[in-house]
Amino acid sequence: MEVKNFERLLLSVQKPGRYSGGEINSVIKDKEKVDVRFAFCFPDTYEIGMSHLGIKILYSQFNSRDDIWCERVFAPWTDFETVMRENNMPLFALESRDPIKDFDFIGFTLQYEMAYTNVLNMLDLAGLPIRSQDRGDNTPIVVAGGPCACNPEPLADFIDIFFLGEGEEVDLEVIDLYKECKKNGKTKKEFLRAAADIEGVYVPSLYNIRYNQDGTISEITPKDGVKTTVKKRIIKDMDSVYYPDKFVVPFIEIVHDRVVQEIFRGCIRGCRFCQAGFIYRPVREKSLETVNRQAKCLCESTGYDEISLSSLSTSDYTEIEPLLNKLLSWTDPQNISLALPSLRIDNFSDELLEKIKHVRKSGLTFAPEAGTQRLRDVINKNVTEEEIIETCKTAFSGGYTSVKLYFMLGLPTETDEDLKGIADLGQKIVDTYYSMPNKPKGKSVSVSISVSTFVPKPFTPFQFEPQITETEIRRRQEYLKSQIKTRKISLSYHDSSTSFLEGVLARGDRRLGKVLETALKSGCRFDSWSECFDLQKWLDAFNANGIDPNFYANRLREYDEINPWEHLDYGVTKSFLVRENQTAHGEKTTPNCREKCSGCGAACYGEGVCFEKR
Amino acid sequence: MKNVRIYFKKLGRMKFVSHLDMTRVMSRLIKKSGIPVWYTEGFNRHIYMNFALPLSLGFESVCEIMDIRLNDESFSNEETLEALKSVCPPDIEFFAVCDPVKPTKEIGFSEYKLEFDEIDSKMSTALNEFFARESVICEKVGKKGKVKEVDIIPKIHTHSIDGNVITLTLVAGSEDNLNPTLVMDTFFDNTGIIPTFYTVLRTAILDKSGNEFE
Repeated sequence: MEVKNFERLLLSVQKPGRYSGGEINSVIKDKEKVDVRFAFCFPDTYEIGMSHLGIKILYSQFNSRDDIWCERVFAPWTDFETVMRENNMPLFALESRDPIKDFDFIGFTLQYEMAYTNVLNMLDLAGLPIRSQDRGDNTPIVVAGGPCACNPEPLADFIDIFFLGEGEEVDLEVIDLYKECKKNGKTKKEFLRAAADIEGVYVPSLYNIRYNQDGTISEITPKDGVKTTVKKRIIKDMDSVYYPDKFVVPFIEIVHDRVVQEIFRGCIRGCRFCQAGFIYRPVREKSLETVNRQAKCLCESTGYDEISLSSLSTSDYTEIEPLLNKLLSWTDPQNISLALPSLRIDNFSDELLEKIKHVRKSGLTFAPEAGTQRLRDVINKNVTEEEIIETCKTAFSGGYTSVKLYFMLGLPTETDEDLKGIADLGQKIVDTYYSMPNKPKGKSVSVSISVSTFVPKPFTPFQFEPQITETEIRRRQEYLKSQIKTRKISLSYHDSSTSFLEGVLARGDRRLGKVLETALKSGCRFDSWSECFDLQKWLDAFNANGIDPNFYANRLREYDEINPWEHLDYGVTKSFLVRENQTAHGEKTTPNCREKCSGCGAACYGEGVCFEKR
Repeated sequence: MKNVRIYFKKLGRMKFVSHLDMTRVMSRLIKKSGIPVWYTEGFNRHIYMNFALPLSLGFESVCEIMDIRLNDESFSNEETLEALKSVCPPDIEFFAVCDPVKPTKEIGFSEYKLEFDEIDSKMSTALNEFFARESVICEKVGKKGKVKEVDIIPKIHTHSIDGNVITLTLVAGSEDNLNPTLVMDTFFDNTGIIPTFYTVLRTAILDKSGNEFE
C-alpha cells in the first residue's frame, strides 16, 4: 500500500504509534538478501507485546543472523482491524510493512489462554486459512511457543509446529532445517515430518487422539513413527546463552517501559498453584558478572533510566545483595533507578529494603495468596502471618504507607474461614501500622487487596482439581466483601466469567478447536480485555458445537486419567505431581529446592539447582 | 550550567508520536547520547527539557525547538550536535544547536503548509472568500473540555494558496495558539466544501515581530 494512503488510514485510528514502526533499534534488512523471513506475532496489543521479554530476546537473536529477518507483528486493536478489513489491508509486519502471508514463518508466543482468538484472528487478517490443513505448500509455516504450549491442544488444528520450553536453540534448529528442506525442494509435509524429530518440537497433526464414551481421552498415538512423547527444551548455560545487547525502544508508552534484565529461570519454591514454578524447572542462574554486564550494555544502547530485574522470585537469587551493590555503583550516579519485582516476604531483609529505598519509591506488593496458615500450607506458599506482619513493620518504619496484597480465591479445600482470613490479615496490617510509634507522621495507611480467581493449570499438582463454578466464585467474592470492615482496605477482584473460560481452555483438548473457530466467527477477540469479552458468545459457541465447558473446568480428574497433555514431557513427572497433590490434601508443605530435593524429575536435564551443593 | 537550544526535524513515521511520547523519546535519546545534561532536582529527577511549541499528532515539522541545560559549560554546541546526531532514529533529524537568544514566551507565530490531493477552483474561490471575511466565530474545545468561542480570522497572520498547498501563518505560543486543523475544520463547516485529507508540515516558528525565532 502506498505510504500516503497508509498514513491517512493510520491517522484515523487511536494510538497510530502502535502501527507505525521505525522505533529506535528496530531492525531493517534488505529482503532480497535474506533466506528466511520470520513474522514474530504477539497476539495482543503493541503496548503489552512490546513489554514481553521473550519477544525481545528472540527478535534480536534471529536478527543477529544475516540470513534471517525477523519482524514484529501485534494484534491490531478493534478500530484498526475495522479500517484494515474495509480497505483490504492484510496484516503486515511493522518493520517492512509487507504482508505476513508472504513470509516463511509466522510465529506466535502464547502467554495466556485468553489470547487464543487473537491468534486465529491474526491468521485471518493475514489472509490465510486458519486451519493448518487448509494452508497449502506455499504458505508460511505457523509456529507457536511460550507457556501455553505446555497444553496447546485447543490450538492443535491451527498451528503447524509447537515449540516446547525455551526457544533460543530449538527455534534456530527448525529454521535451519527449513532452509535445507526449501533448498532440496521438500514439501511442507516432508518438512514437518523431519522437524518432528527435533527435540522440543511438537507437530500436532502427527498425533492421533481417541476418546472414551465419557469424553475422556483413551489414547494418544503418534503417526509416521514420530516420538511418543515430546520433551521440552531448556538452556543449560545461562551465562553463554544469547541475550540482546539492545532492545527496540518504543515511541509510545508501553506497559513495562524499561530495561528488563533476566537474572534466572525457574523457581525453587514449588507453590502448588503456580504453573511457571513447574514448567520452567530447573532453576538456572546467570552469574552476577553476566547480569551486571548485560544490564549496563542495555542501558547504554537504549537510553532507558530504569532497570527491572526479571525472574519468578527476585530475592531468591543467591547473590542478590552483592548484585544490588554492584548495580547501584553505576546506576545511582547515572540517575538510573532499579525495580525489584517478585520479592518474597520471608527473605525481605532490612538491608534489601534499604537498597531499594535508594531508588524511586513505589508501593510495596506482597503475595500471601491465601488468608489462613492452613490454606497456605495446602498451596505450599511457605510464608507465615508473622513474617508478613514483620515485613510490613519494616516497610512502615522505612516510610512506606501503602501495601498491596495479592490473594487467590477458589483454591482447593478453601472454606469461608479462609476467605475471612484474608480480611483479617488486612485488618491486622492496618492495626500494625497504627500501633507503631515510628510510623510515618500524619499519614494514613492504605492496604489494597487484590483477589484473582484460581485456575487449575496443567503440570501443577492442582491439575487434577475441579475449578469452582462461576456462581460459587461470585458467592465467595460477595462473602469476602462483606468481611471487610474498614475503608483503609480496598478490595478488587477478577471477573468470574473470564476465569471460567481460562479454566476451560487451560485444560482443554482438540475438540475445543471448533469452539474457538465459532467464537472467532461470532466476533470474539481480545478476550482478556473486559470491554471486548462477551461470555454469552462463548457459551453459544460451546452450545453450537455440542460441547460442555464444565467438563473441562469443573470436573475432578482421576490421577490415572489420560490428560490432553499426557504426551508432552516438561521434566516434572506425573508421579511427583500426584504425590504433591496428596501432600496438599494432607495440609503439609514441601521444602524448596535449595533446602531439599523432592525428586520432581527436572534433574533429568543435568543442570541447575538440582546439582547445587546443599 | 548553561542553556542550549536544539533544532530538529520530525518527519515520516515520527508524525505518529504524540507530544507527550516525544518527551520520553527525547529524554532517552539525550541519555543515550551521553551529553552532560542537567537533571531536575525534585522528588522525581528527570532531564530538564522545554519544548518551544508542541506539535500536534499527525503533523510533520522541519523546525522543532527544544531547550535543555548542560552541567558542563565547556561542552560545545558542535559536540552536543554530533552526540545527538549519532543516536537519532531515521525520522528525527537534529540539525543545529545554538545558544538561546530569546525566551520561548517570545514566540508569536508558526507557519504551516497544508498539502491537499487537489485544490480545485471551487475550493480555491471558497478559501479566498473565507480568508477575506472580517470575522469567523468557531467553538474551540479547551484542555479541560471547556468550550469557548473564538474568532479565528484575527489569528490568521498570513495565508496563500499555491497549487495544492495552502500556507498559513497562525498565532502561536503558550498564551494564544491557533491550530491549522481548527482553521480547516471551520472552513469546511462554514462553506459546505466536502472535507478531504491533507498533510500538515510546520515550516517555521516566528517571534512576535514575525522574524525567525532564535
